[in-house]
Amino acid sequence: MVEGLAGNSTAHAALLRALLPALRSYFGRRLGSLCEEVEDLVQETLISIHERRISYDPARPFTPWLYAIARYRLIDHVRRRRMTLPIEDAEPFLEGEGFEDATAAKIDVEALLSTLTPKQAMAIRRTRLEGLSTAEAAAAAGIGESDVKISVHRGLKSLAGRLRTVSR
Amino acid sequence: MNTDELILQLSADVPPVRRHALHLRVTAGMVVGGMLTAALVAALGFRSDLPSSLDGFSFWAKLTYTISIACISVAAAANFGRPTETSTRRTWLLAAPLLMMAGVAIGELSATPVEGWRDMWLGQTWSICPLLVLGLSVPIFLGLVWAFRRLAPTRLRLTGAVAGLTAGAWAATLYCLHCQETSALFVLTWYSLGILLAAGVGAALGPRLLRW
Repeated sequence: MVEGLAGNSTAHAALLRALLPALRSYFGRRLGSLCEEVEDLVQETLISIHERRISYDPARPFTPWLYAIARYRLIDHVRRRRMTLPIEDAEPFLEGEGFEDATAAKIDVEALLSTLTPKQAMAIRRTRLEGLSTAEAAAAAGIGESDVKISVHRGLKSLAGRLRTVSR
Repeated sequence: MNTDELILQLSADVPPVRRHALHLRVTAGMVVGGMLTAALVAALGFRSDLPSSLDGFSFWAKLTYTISIACISVAAAANFGRPTETSTRRTWLLAAPLLMMAGVAIGELSATPVEGWRDMWLGQTWSICPLLVLGLSVPIFLGLVWAFRRLAPTRLRLTGAVAGLTAGAWAATLYCLHCQETSALFVLTWYSLGILLAAGVGAALGPRLLRW
């Protein structure tokens, strides 16, 4: 995105192409099987992204901006078609809400874990994210239980330190 | 059209975007509209005592009041140009100039006998002042609408209202050059009413004009 803003058209095209899967799944999740409408919305969103690039602040994360645009396009689309949704079908639509936050959070967690040593990252992922017990994680990695505990402890501590400096 | 073709077409024309492009664009819209409004004020005629009034407290109090409203609301409006911006928290800053002007008005009232209050409040021009402010705000509002055509506001009514508020406040600022009224109570009532009218019109038109 940043290079596209600088006027690099190859980067811009690559960005738009890279966004396709995310946008298709975003609209697909909410509109269900109405395939041709999904593609229409994807195209409209690409046009909006292109035309309204100056509303993006390079100092801030990109995904919230992208999904805010997509969300507006979706709401506008629903309003224009005067589309109504039977209440029984509203659940998957609402479940879709918050999906982008969860995805963004997952990306953040992975980015943070990659700043740790591989052993610490592995220990945290196994015991805190995948829900294994300390013993299971130790057996899977072929190291001692106390080693796993220490890795988790040190890893979390350095993550906490990192987050504190980031938020400052 | 095929999505790949669309991407090719879009990326055929990628003008670079400068770092503060959003703020530059909002400022440009505002300044062009403001010049038109200034020309209208010049057509109305500047107040005859303009040079001497530059020394007076009331002139500067008026200017401070309207300019600070304009600055706060234009910052809010520029923010709403980003789709991720939906919080109204910062608009509470607008209470500050209002309180300041109310303080000045109370000070003036306490220095005047009660019989003089009515004249201070209504002045000579109370019936046209709000309407003139509203009318003068139109070019600035249109300039801002032009600026927002490349931005991505998601709260259209709110954005329209803040854009109207900005336009009204700048119009009132320029109107100061014409208007001879001096009392703070007059400004607090009738200028504010004109600015609020502009904000109301902006809120009413926002969803229609700013849609994308």
